Amino acid sequence: MTTNYLGEKMADTILKGGEYLIADLACEDIFTPEDFTDEQKQMGETTEQFIVNEIMPHIDEIDKQNFDIVVDGMQKCGELGLLMMDSPEEYGGLELDKASSMLVSEKVSMGGSFSVAYAAHTGIGTLPLIYYGTPEQKEKYLEKITSGEWIAAYCLTEPGSGSDALGAQASAVLSEDGKHYILNGTKQYITNGGFAQLYTVFAKIDKEHFTAFLVEKSFEGLVVGAEEKKLGIKGSSTTQIILDNCKVPVENVLGEIGKGHKIAFNVLNVGRFKLGAGVTGASKMALVEGIKYANERKQFKTPIAKFGAIKEKIADLTAKIFASESLVYRLAGDLDNKLATIEKGIDNYYEEYQKGIEEYAPECGISKVFCSEVLAKTVDEVVQIHGGYGFCSEYPAERYYRDERINRIFEGTNEINRLLIPGMILRKSMKGELPLQAEAMKAFEALMTPSFEEIEDVPFAAEKALLKNMKTLFLILAGAGVQKYMDKIADEQEILMAAADIAIQIYALESALLRAEKNYDNVSESKKELYLAAVKVFAFDAAEATGSAARKGAFYIEEGDTLTMILSGVRRFTKYDATGLLQAKRLLASASSESEKYLF
Amino acid sequence: MKILVCIKQVPDMESKFKVNSENTWYDSGDLAWRMNEYDEYAVEQAVQLKEQQGDADLTVLCIGPDRVKETMKKALAMGCDRGAHLQDDESHKREPLEIASIIAEYARDKEFDVVFTGMQSQDRGSGQVGVLLGEILDMSCVTTVIEFGFEAGEIKVKRELEGGVKAKVKTTTPAVLTCQLGLNTPRYPTLPNIMKAKKKELLSSPAADLLKVDSRQNTQTMYFPEKKGVGLVLEGEIADLTDELIKILKEKTGVLA
Ligand SMILES: Cc1cc2nc3c(=O)[nH]c(=O)nc-3n(C[C@H](O)[C@H](O)[C@H](O)COP(=O)(O)OP(=O)(O)OC[C@H]3O[C@@H](n4cnc5c(N)ncnc54)[C@H](O)[C@@H]3O)c2cc1C
Repeated sequence: MTTNYLGEKMADTILKGGEYLIADLACEDIFTPEDFTDEQKQMGETTEQFIVNEIMPHIDEIDKQNFDIVVDGMQKCGELGLLMMDSPEEYGGLELDKASSMLVSEKVSMGGSFSVAYAAHTGIGTLPLIYYGTPEQKEKYLEKITSGEWIAAYCLTEPGSGSDALGAQASAVLSEDGKHYILNGTKQYITNGGFAQLYTVFAKIDKEHFTAFLVEKSFEGLVVGAEEKKLGIKGSSTTQIILDNCKVPVENVLGEIGKGHKIAFNVLNVGRFKLGAGVTGASKMALVEGIKYANERKQFKTPIAKFGAIKEKIADLTAKIFASESLVYRLAGDLDNKLATIEKGIDNYYEEYQKGIEEYAPECGISKVFCSEVLAKTVDEVVQIHGGYGFCSEYPAERYYRDERINRIFEGTNEINRLLIPGMILRKSMKGELPLQAEAMKAFEALMTPSFEEIEDVPFAAEKALLKNMKTLFLILAGAGVQKYMDKIADEQEILMAAADIAIQIYALESALLRAEKNYDNVSESKKELYLAAVKVFAFDAAEATGSAARKGAFYIEEGDTLTMILSGVRRFTKYDATGLLQAKRLLASASSESEKYLF
Repeated sequence: MKILVCIKQVPDMESKFKVNSENTWYDSGDLAWRMNEYDEYAVEQAVQLKEQQGDADLTVLCIGPDRVKETMKKALAMGCDRGAHLQDDESHKREPLEIASIIAEYARDKEFDVVFTGMQSQDRGSGQVGVLLGEILDMSCVTTVIEFGFEAGEIKVKRELEGGVKAKVKTTTPAVLTCQLGLNTPRYPTLPNIMKAKKKELLSSPAADLLKVDSRQNTQTMYFPEKKGVGLVLEGEIADLTDELIKILKEKTGVLA
C-alpha cells in the first residue's frame, strides 16, 4: 500500500509521474536489478559476451571510423535479437519489457562509440516507426531495421535549431501531382548519418505544420555531409543530412501532419531514459578500470588503492553508481507496470503507450541528468586515479573521459532537462493531476512546527527520515517559488535549476534506499554491510547537494524573515547523522579493491 | 537419436573465494554462478549434432540446488529440447562416483545414443564423472575431445593428449564423450531463443532417489596454500642499498648477529 509522505494512505499503487515527491513508497513497490528473471540475466549475458568478444577488441579501429566494423556489428546484433526488443511481435519483434531493454543497453554501453550507433538505431531511429508507423510502413521497413540490414537515423536538429527543436527551418511542399513532398533544408549532427538507410526527418509542411517523414537514403535529393571531427565517440558517425529538393512519397509521412512535435518529444522520453541505463553501464566499466589500476600502481612502495584519498574516490563513485543503477531499474519497473495496464491489440495501443511513457517524462529527464552526471564524475575521478597515465591514450581512462562528454549534451541538454523536470511537475500540479499545492501548504506548516521525532535504531531509518525531510524541503521551495512568480516561474531558470537538483536527489536517494531495503534481508552479513555503507555514503552526498541547492533557491526567491525561516528549514530538513561515514567509505573501498568489481 | 548433455553450474572463476566454515569446500555466499566452461562446449556440440540429425531429442541434465536452473535455461536457450534438474542441495559434497551414479540411474532406461559431458569441472576438477558414467552404463567413453564428427552411425573424434599430441578415434554408439576447450565456439543464446526456452520442459526431481552408491571419499580439509614470504626488491643508489640491506639483515635475520 502506498501512502503519502505524511503517512496517509493513497489510492493507486502505480504512482503517477512526479508523484514520488509527495508519496511514501514501500520498498516492495519498486523493481530492482536483484529482481531480474533468469531470462533477463541471460539476455544481459548474451549482450555482454557479444560486446566483449566481438566489439571491444575493435574499439580503436572503430574510433578511426572504420565503419564497416560498426555496420557488421549491428548486423550481428540483429542476428542475436538485440535490435528487436521494442518491436511488436507481428513484425518479428519481441516486445520485451523495459527492464530487459535497459539491461541490454547497459551492457552495450561497454562498446564505446559502437554503443552510440546502437542506441541511436534502436532508440530515436526505430521508435518513431514503431510508435507512429502505419501497418504498411512497418511492413515495409521494420524488419529491415530490426534485423540490422538497414541502419536508422533521426534528423531533428538543424544548424540553427538544437534545443529549440521546433524552430526547425526544413520545409516540405506537396508536389503538383500530389504524390510527393519536396523537402529542403539541412539537418545537423545526425548520428549514423554516414551509413543509415532510413532517416526519420522532421520538416514543416508549408512552413507551418511540423511533420515527420520516413526518408530512404536512395531517395533523390538526400545528400550525406562530411563526418564531423569530434572530441569523443569518434567512431560514431555524425554528419549533416542535406535535403536538396528531396522527393518523399506522400505515403512516407509518419504520423499525422502537424503532429511531428509529439513524435519528436515522445521518442526523446524513451531516449533519455535509455541514456540513463547506457551511462550507468559505462560508469561501472570505468570504475572497475580505476579500481584495478589503483591496485596495480605503487607509489611510496604502496599500492595507491591503500591511500585514503584514493579509497574515498572509489567509495564515493561506488555509492553514486549504486544510486544511478537503482534509479534506472526502478523507473524501468514503473514504466513496465504502467504499460502492462494497457491492453495489447487495441487499436490505439501505441497512443495509450505514449501516454504511459509521457506520464513519467519527469523521471525520464531525471534519469538522463543524474546518470550522465554520475558518469561525468566517474570518468573524471578515474582519470585522476590514473594520474599522468590517465591523460595519455594508452590507457582507456582517457577515452572514457572524452566519450562521456556528449551525454550531457544530446537527447536534450542537461539544462533543458533540468528546466523540464520541475516544469512538467508544476504543470501536472496546475492541471490538478498532482496535489502539489495542498502538500506544499502542509510542508509550510511543518516548517513552522518544531519536530521532536526520534529516529528508530533500525537499518535505513535515518535515511528514510532524511528522504521525507528532503521532500518537505522541495515542497517548501517549490511552493515559495510558485507563490512569488506564479505562472512566470518558467522565466526564473535559476530557481528551476535548483528545484530540479532537489527533485533529482530525492529520486536518486529514494531509489537507492528502497533497493537496499528490499534486498537487505536476503543477503549475507557482509553484503548487508555493503548496502548500509552505500546508502550512507550516498545519503550524505544527497543531503549536502540538496542543502546547497535549497539554500541557493531560498536566496533567489525570498528575503527578510521568510528567508531566515526557510534557511533554518534547510538546515533542519537536510540534517543527517552520518556517524560511521568514514568507516562506510573504507569498507566500500576495500571490498571494491579486493573483488576488483563494482560491488552491486 | 537421443542425446544427453550433462552440465554443472560453477562459480565465476574471477570471484574471491573463501573456504567455508567446515573447511571442506568454498563458501558459496555472494558468488555469481555460470555454466562450467567445458560444459559449454559439450552443449554446443550436442546442439550441433541435434541440428545435423534433424529428428534428434536433446536433454540437458544438471544436479544441484534450485539455482542451477538458471544455468540450465541457458542450455535450453542454446538449443536443448528439455531439461532434467536433479535437485540436490548437497551436490557440492558428492564425490565423482556419486555424481556419475545419479546420472547413470537417470539415463539407464532412456537409451541415449550419445552423452556429452565436460572434460572436468572448473571448481572440483576431478575429470572422472564422464569416465565413471561410461563405465557404469557400459558405454564406450572417449575423453578430451577436440573435434567431433558423426557419420553413418559412427562417431569420429580427435583427442588431445599430453604435450600437444593428437589422436583420432572412432567409436560406435552408445558413447560418452568428455569435451575439451576449443572443441567448437559455443553460441550466444539469441534473445528470441531465450524467450522460447521459457516454454521448454524443465522438470525437477530429487537426486537422492537416484543415488545408488555409498560415498567412499570425504574431504578432510580444504585450505589455501600458506603465503610464502614475499620477495623484496630494493631500488636506489648502491650506497643506500647496502645500508638498507644491512639494516634488514640485522632486523629480520640472525646472519649478522
Ligand atoms: C555527437 C552528436 C550526435 C547527435 N546526434 C543527433 C541525432 O542523431 N539527431 C538529432 O536530431 N540531433 C543530434 N544531435 C544534436 C543534439 O541533440 C543537439 O546538439 C542538442 O540538442 C543541443 O543543441 P545545440 O547543439 O544546437 O545547442 P544549443 O541549443 O544552441 O544550446 C547551447 C547551450 O545553451 C543552452 N540552452 C539552449 N536553450 C536554452 C534555454 N531555453 N534555456 C536555457 N538554456 C538553454 C543549452 O543547454 C546549451 O548549454 C547530436 C549532437 C552531437 C554533438
